[in-house]
Amino acid sequence: MDAGERALSASGLIAGREGTSLLWALLRVNGLQVWRRLQGLRHQSKLLTLLVGAFLGGYLTLAFGLFRMGLRFVGSFPGLGTLLVERLMFLMFAILFVLLLFSNLVIGYTNLFRNRETSYLLSLPVSFRTIVQWKFIESTLLASWAFLFLIAPLIVAYGLHRNVSWHFFVLTPLLVAMFIVLPAAAGAWISMFMARYLDRRLFQATLALLVVLVMAGVAFWLKSEPVAEELTETRALAVLDRLLAKTAFTEFALLPSYWLSSGILQWADGALATAMFYGLVLLSYTLFFGHLSFSQSGRFFYDAASRVNSRASAFWRWSWFQSWRLRHREARYTEQGIERVAGWFSGVLNSDTRALLVKDIRLFWRDTAQWGQTLVLFGLLGVYILNLRHFSHQLTNPFWIHLVSHLNLGACALNLATLTTRFIYPQFSLEGKRIWIVGMAPVGMVRLVRTKFWLATVGSLVVTLGLILLSCWMLRLPLERMLYFAGAITLMTFTLNGLAVGLGALYPNFREEHPGKIVSGFGGTFCLVLSFVYIVASVVLLALGSPWPWMGAARAAHAPTELAWAAFLALSLGLGWVPLRMGLKQVERFEL
Amino acid sequence: MIELRQLTKKFGDLVAVDQVTLTIARGEFFAVLGPNAAGKTTTIRILAGLMKPTAGQARVAGFDVQTEPLEARRRMAYVPDFPFLYDKLTPWEFLRFTGQMFRMSEGSIEGAARLWAARFNLGEYLNIAIESLSHGTRQRVALASAMMHDPEVIVLDEPMVGLDPHHARVLKDILKEQAERGATIFVSTHQLSVAEEMADRIGIMHHGRLIAVGSREELRLRSGSEGALEQTFLALTAEEADLAAAGKKLVAPEPGPVKRV
Repeated sequence: MDAGERALSASGLIAGREGTSLLWALLRVNGLQVWRRLQGLRHQSKLLTLLVGAFLGGYLTLAFGLFRMGLRFVGSFPGLGTLLVERLMFLMFAILFVLLLFSNLVIGYTNLFRNRETSYLLSLPVSFRTIVQWKFIESTLLASWAFLFLIAPLIVAYGLHRNVSWHFFVLTPLLVAMFIVLPAAAGAWISMFMARYLDRRLFQATLALLVVLVMAGVAFWLKSEPVAEELTETRALAVLDRLLAKTAFTEFALLPSYWLSSGILQWADGALATAMFYGLVLLSYTLFFGHLSFSQSGRFFYDAASRVNSRASAFWRWSWFQSWRLRHREARYTEQGIERVAGWFSGVLNSDTRALLVKDIRLFWRDTAQWGQTLVLFGLLGVYILNLRHFSHQLTNPFWIHLVSHLNLGACALNLATLTTRFIYPQFSLEGKRIWIVGMAPVGMVRLVRTKFWLATVGSLVVTLGLILLSCWMLRLPLERMLYFAGAITLMTFTLNGLAVGLGALYPNFREEHPGKIVSGFGGTFCLVLSFVYIVASVVLLALGSPWPWMGAARAAHAPTELAWAAFLALSLGLGWVPLRMGLKQVERFEL
Repeated sequence: MIELRQLTKKFGDLVAVDQVTLTIARGEFFAVLGPNAAGKTTTIRILAGLMKPTAGQARVAGFDVQTEPLEARRRMAYVPDFPFLYDKLTPWEFLRFTGQMFRMSEGSIEGAARLWAARFNLGEYLNIAIESLSHGTRQRVALASAMMHDPEVIVLDEPMVGLDPHHARVLKDILKEQAERGATIFVSTHQLSVAEEMADRIGIMHHGRLIAVGSREELRLRSGSEGALEQTFLALTAEEADLAAAGKKLVAPEPGPVKRV
C-alpha cells in the first residue's frame, strides 16, 4: 500500500475488502488516479509546484483583498450600504447558479457520452445506475471546483466584513456543498435529455444558442441607461432604486441561489433560526433531486448512450444535406475558399507553407472548442466594449478614462493569453503526432514553428487590435491615444504568441493526445503564469508611463514615458522574442 | 455460447450490420474477417452491450445482452481494439480492480491476477504505472484483465495488434486452451493467418452482411478458389461486390451447431 492508498484508506475512500461496492471501487480507483497525478506534478518539477502554489496563493490573496475593499466601498454607501452588499451577494449566487448549470451540462454530456471510461464500464457487469452515479459525482466535482475556488475569497471577505463568528465559516461550505448538487442534477438530466434527442452538432448548436439567448436576455434586462450627471448627484436614490429593481429577480424565492444567499446572509446577521430554515429548504431539495439523479437516471442513460453511439448526423433527414454529402464523396476535388485565398499569396509564400496555413486554419475552424471559446471570450469583451458608449457620457473625469482604457488593454491581453496558452502552446506537441509527414517533409521543423507563430499572431492581432480600437473609439479617445494603445496591444500580441509558441517548442509533450493534458504540464503552467505576469507588469508600466495626465491638466509625478516604454519593450523582448528564439534553436536540433 | 438473430444496426441511412444470424457453440473458436467498415466492430460492440441493435437479438451464454445485460457481461470478456486502461494505476492494481468489478472474492482475485500476469509475462511490469508501458504491454494488461473472471465467452476485437510474435503466440495458445475448456471465442481480425490457424469456423462480413460462414475448407469450396485463405477471402468479397452491383445478395447458409474441439 503506497502513500496514496494509505491516504485514501485513512479518509475512508477504501471500503472494507469484503463486500466492496462497485461504486466505492470506482471512487477508490479514480481517487488514486488523482492522487498519483498530483504526486506526479510534484515529482515532475519543484519549480512547477512552486509556480502553481504561488499563482493560487496570489489569486486567493489578491481576490480576497479586492473583494474586501469592494465590500467596504459599497457597504459605506450612506443608508443603503448593507442593502447593496446583500443584493450583490444574491446577484453573485444567481449568476453562479447559471454558470454551474451550463458547466454541468457540458461536462455531464462529455463525461457520460464521450468518455472512454464510460464505454469501458459499459462492458463490465456494472449496472447503468452505478455508472451514472459515479459519472454524476465526477461531473459535479469537475464542473464545480473552479467556481468554488473563485468564490471562496469573496465568502471569506464577506464574513470578515460582517465580523461573523467562527461557525459562519463552517456552515457556509456545507450550504455551498448542498447547493452545487442542484445545478449538477439539472445539468445531468438536461444532458441526458439532449443526448437522447440531439446529435453532437445539434447539441453544440443548441448549447451555443442557449448561451447567446441568456447573454442577450441579461444584456437586455440589465441594459445600462444613460443617467444625466445632475441626476446622479441629486437623485442618487432614484438611480439606485432603478438598479435594485433590475436585479430584484435574484430574490425570487424559488431560486436555489436565493436559499443559499438567504442562508448565508441570515447566518451573518445572527438570525440562526431563519438561516437554518433556508439551510433545511436547500437540504430537502438537494436530497430530493440528488436522490432522483442518483437512483433514477440510470434507466434513461443506456438508451441515450446507445443513441449517441448509433447516430448519424441529424442533418441526414434533409435531402439537401444528403446530396451535399454525396457530392463531397465524389473523387474529384475542388479547391475551397481558404485554399483560393492562400493561392493569392503564391508569390510570397511557398506551396508547403501555404499548405500548412490552410491545414491549421481548417483544423481551427473544425474544432468547435477552439473557435467556440475564442468567440465566447472575445464576444463577451466585445459586448462590454460596445456598452462603453453608455458609460462614456459619465466618464468626463480623465482619471476614469485612463483607468478604463488601461483596464480594457489588460482584459484584451488576458483573453488572448488564455487562448494562446490553451490552444497555441500545445500546437507543436500535437504536431508531434503527425511528425511522420510534417517532420519528414522538406518544409522543416523551424519553418513549421515560424508558420504557426505568424498564423497565430496575425489571426489574433485582427481580433485584439480591432477590440482595442473599438474600445478607444467608444471612449472617444483622440487619434494619438488610439495609436498608442494600438501599438501596445500589437506588441503584446506578438509577445504572448511568441511566448506560447516558444515554450510549446521548448517543452514538447508527444505522449499526450489531448491538448488540455499537454497544457496542464510544466511548460503550459509556466506559459500561463508568465503570460499573466507579463500582462500585469505591462499594463502597470504603461499606466505609470502614460504621456497623458491621469488627474488633470498637469502631468502627475510618475515614471517618464520613455523609461516605461523601454521597460515594456525589454519585457516584451524577454518574454516574447527570447522564448521564441530558444524554441526555434531547440527545434533546429530536434531529432526525429 | 453466442447467438445472433437477425441482428441489424443502422446509423441513419447507413446499414452497418444487416440481419446477421449466427450461432457459435460452446468451445468453438470463431473468427470474423472482413474489409474495413464491414460491420465487424459494430457487431462486437452490440455483443458487448455498448449499443442497442436497431433490430434483432444478441445472446451471450444464454442471456440477452439487452434485457439481461449484467448476467451476460458477467460471463463475458471483451477487449476492444484500443482498450481503456487507468493510466496512473499499475497493472497489479488494474487487475485487482477488474476482479472487484466482477465481484470476485479477495482470494480468487489474488490467484487469478498472479496466474494471468505470469501467463502474459507481466511480472516485471506489475508495479509500474500503466502510462509508462509500451503499446504491446498495455494490450497484454488488458488481455490479462479480461481473463481474470474465467469468462464463458471471450470477444476480442483485433487482439493481435501491437503484440510481438512471441506474445502473439502466447495469446493464441491461451485462446486455444480456453476453447478446449469450453469457452466460446469470437475474434475479429484482419490477420488471415490467425483465422486460418486457430478458427473452427470463419465468418466473412462485407457491407454489414455475413456473406459466408464455414470451416476453412467449406469456405474454399464455396469460393471455388484453390489457394490460401487470402484467395478465398478475396474471391468471396469480390463475388459479393459483383452481386451487390447487380442488386442481389450473397446469403450465408443457416448456421448449424458446430463443435470441433
